[in-house]
Amino acid sequence: MLLAVEDISMQFGGLRALDKVSFGMKSGQIFGLIGPNGSGKTTLANIISGFLKPSSGRVLFEGQEMQGKPPHVIAEAGLCRTFQITLNPRRMTVMENMLLGAARQTGENIVSAMLQSRQVAREEERNLERARDLLEMVGLQRHADELAGSLSGGQKKLLALVQVLMAEPKLILLDEPVAGVNPRLIEDIVAVILQLRRAGHNFFIIEHNMQVVRRLCDEICVLDMGNVLAQGAPDEVLAREDVLQAYIASGGVAGEGVQA
Amino acid sequence: MSAFLVYLITMTGIYGIMSLSLSLQYGQTGLVNLGQVGFFMVGAYVSAIGSTILGWPIALAFVAGVLGGALFGVLMALPIGNLRQDYWAIVTIAAAELVRVIFLNTNLGSPYVGASYGITGIPSPLQGVLGGPYYGYYYLALVAACLLGCYLVVQWVSRSPFGRVLKAIRESDEVAQALGKNVRAARIWTMAIGGAIAGLGGALFSHFLGFIDPTYFMPLETFLVWAMVILGGAGNHLGALAGAIIIQLLYNGTRFIGFGEEYASLGASLRMVLIGVLIILVILYLPRGILPERRRRYGVRDAAGR
Amino acid sequence: MIQILIDSLIRAAELALLGVGLTMVYDVLRFPSFAHVEFGTVGAFIALTISLALPFGPGSSLVIAGIVAMVAVGFLGVATDRAVFSRLRGNSPILLLIASFGVGIVLRFGAQAIWGANAQSYPLPLMRPWLIGDGRLTPSAAAIIVVALVTMLLFHFVLNRTTLGIAMRATADNKDLAEASGIFTERVIRLVWFVGAALAALGGVMLGVATQLHTNMGFEIMLPVFAAVILGGIGNPYGAVLGALVVGFAENIGLAINWGSLASALGLATEDFLFIPVGYKAAIPFTLVIIMLLLRPTGLLGEKRA
Ligand SMILES: Nc1ncnc2c1ncn2[C@@H]1O[C@H](COP(=O)(O)OP(=O)(O)OP(=O)(O)O)[C@@H](O)[C@H]1O
Ligand SMILES: [Mg+2]
Repeated sequence: MLLAVEDISMQFGGLRALDKVSFGMKSGQIFGLIGPNGSGKTTLANIISGFLKPSSGRVLFEGQEMQGKPPHVIAEAGLCRTFQITLNPRRMTVMENMLLGAARQTGENIVSAMLQSRQVAREEERNLERARDLLEMVGLQRHADELAGSLSGGQKKLLALVQVLMAEPKLILLDEPVAGVNPRLIEDIVAVILQLRRAGHNFFIIEHNMQVVRRLCDEICVLDMGNVLAQGAPDEVLAREDVLQAYIASGGVAGEGVQA
Repeated sequence: MSAFLVYLITMTGIYGIMSLSLSLQYGQTGLVNLGQVGFFMVGAYVSAIGSTILGWPIALAFVAGVLGGALFGVLMALPIGNLRQDYWAIVTIAAAELVRVIFLNTNLGSPYVGASYGITGIPSPLQGVLGGPYYGYYYLALVAACLLGCYLVVQWVSRSPFGRVLKAIRESDEVAQALGKNVRAARIWTMAIGGAIAGLGGALFSHFLGFIDPTYFMPLETFLVWAMVILGGAGNHLGALAGAIIIQLLYNGTRFIGFGEEYASLGASLRMVLIGVLIILVILYLPRGILPERRRRYGVRDAAGR
Repeated sequence: MIQILIDSLIRAAELALLGVGLTMVYDVLRFPSFAHVEFGTVGAFIALTISLALPFGPGSSLVIAGIVAMVAVGFLGVATDRAVFSRLRGNSPILLLIASFGVGIVLRFGAQAIWGANAQSYPLPLMRPWLIGDGRLTPSAAAIIVVALVTMLLFHFVLNRTTLGIAMRATADNKDLAEASGIFTERVIRLVWFVGAALAALGGVMLGVATQLHTNMGFEIMLPVFAAVILGGIGNPYGAVLGALVVGFAENIGLAINWGSLASALGLATEDFLFIPVGYKAAIPFTLVIIMLLLRPTGLLGEKRA
């Protein structure tokens, strides 16, 4: 198992957002987490990435216990995430965002930045090259010197994706990578994810768009009101009556998404 | 140049140093430090105490003032390193007040030193060698050199990869954390550097005046420094310097618009109202300041791939 | 012992009146307003001017003047929102915070320009205090406590029976839903400013009755008020009242306690008598806030927030 979640519960005051959630994902997969609005997906993502401490339970990444560790430690271990609402630093240029993404930079420690200026310059050069390659891959190269805040919503999501790649993570957690993105850019994002997966990247994706889920995911897990409802191959799971019921009961737009 | 003009430029230089310190904290990192005057006071007092009561050489006292400012910054940042900026605002303003309350209520060694009596007889550096009618110019040169040094430090920090992390923290500490940056540590470092710079400003201030007491370090000073950074342009360190010059001109220039003796206090109040209104207008209509933050350009690869 | 109780209650009354409005504005607009306490200062002085102009006895003049001042300052609160804060809706809370810092300066020094920098008093007759055990309770002190109590009960009623109250409580339950269902109409925001500023004005009058009026009076009580709000959990008016009680008692008990035996037990001091000097009173709320932020940043009654 690359990532395993064991008996995770999360209590917000009187609300039990997650109730003993357990599942695991293997390496070499795109793993999908779906569920109606408010079923606890983002809460779980926050726990996995260290932004929330679970009330109980364990998160294992490559066999290491991660629950309760601070987010930057988890990111350094190779588990990087994006946010449901894209938060790229707006008043930084696209290129600055990319360079920011690179992990373990010597120059990010002020003391070593002073003492090892040669090393810092070398790393900057290397990261700049890599950033240019990645921006080219997603077609953002022309926007390199523009402020991230001036990009369109879809472009911001793309930027968030390649920015995370700069860190060379072992597992990438995407919270709704295509939500609110126009259909043409959705195609681009899906294509990029599939391409990266062929290149050996692992993904953990939270998504409402069922077509995208079907096309991307090797395995999915359904959350409903803080409980795991089902886990398995997308076609089987999405055909199940109880999954359909959960979506219909929640009455969300996503309900139609299941049948689609 | 008249002695007053030299005095004014020297004070502007000292405020410029304060403004650079805040520019790094707020403009670059987004830290809402409303206790900037606390740094200033710690630097001024540590250096003054060192060179008078403890009898240290002035250079050593200066260094102590700088380190004192840095240490104060670290102490302030430790409990709030992970918290939102509204908590920072409250805790920093309180910390600066706490420092003032402590110095206001503490005698330093003998009964008429410290507390509300302040510290007198703070020596000027190299008075023996350079003393004389032109000493004011030498001190001005010292302040200018320190200002330049601080500018270079702040600029270098901001352009380093560390500075990039600071900017990311300003924009979204969550993204910075998700990308593996230790936000708390970076904030603490920023407060240490900002505190050291402002501590230097405080040391320059006390050795310039030769006398300090707690009334020099009212929360109003913090507001003036903020006005400088906001007006000049948060995120542009040159802007912070421009803001320091303009606010100083405004603040001292309005002194001469004659209110006469009996209205001196009215004039002082209206001056602050003016600066308050100015800062509000800048926030409303010129939120990026007179010298907006500049983008760093890396250039786009040409068709040949380079 | 009883004296401590009386003093603490008076202090808590002032803090609660100022804190309730602050916590409401904080909750609805999501920034801590550094201008809030200055509404207290302005209100106190408006009440002074009006009460001096009224022909009735000093007591009833002040009551009428206080009510007029509350209404006037309530509108002043709405006006500052129109002029400044409403134009910044949707901006980062940090910008609003700094703008409020500017508004606070304008209010404070505007008051100073109008009413002068000297301390003044309401023309209340000297009244013989009642003796309760070892405590002395002046009629005006009793009035402060009663006014605060009645106001808080009224406020509790407003919170539970009116649109404003229902909107406020809806946020306490579920902020996202309240925002999504458009409960925060501009009307509610205006109401919050009006009520908050008017309560602050009442708090300012009470402060003036308890001691004296001074243009720094608002600023001086700002940190204890913030301490009360943070202790109570930001956005929770009941919490603010509880926080006000905690701070009020902590300040007075902290000074009254003989820490000597504790200090010697810890090996910190050898004296049997060790009192916190009155000058350090300002440090008590600050210390409470730091402890609170370290242990439970969401406050005593606070809920966790995303
Ligand atoms: N910090 C918090 N405090 C209190 N309740 C919370 C908090 N975060 C989430 N919740 C609640 O927990 C539940 C799960 O929310 P979560 O955001 O995880 O859902 P989700 O599955 O990501 O929904 P969506 O599909 O709409 O993004 C919701 O009822 C939400 O209101
Ligand atoms: Mg979600």
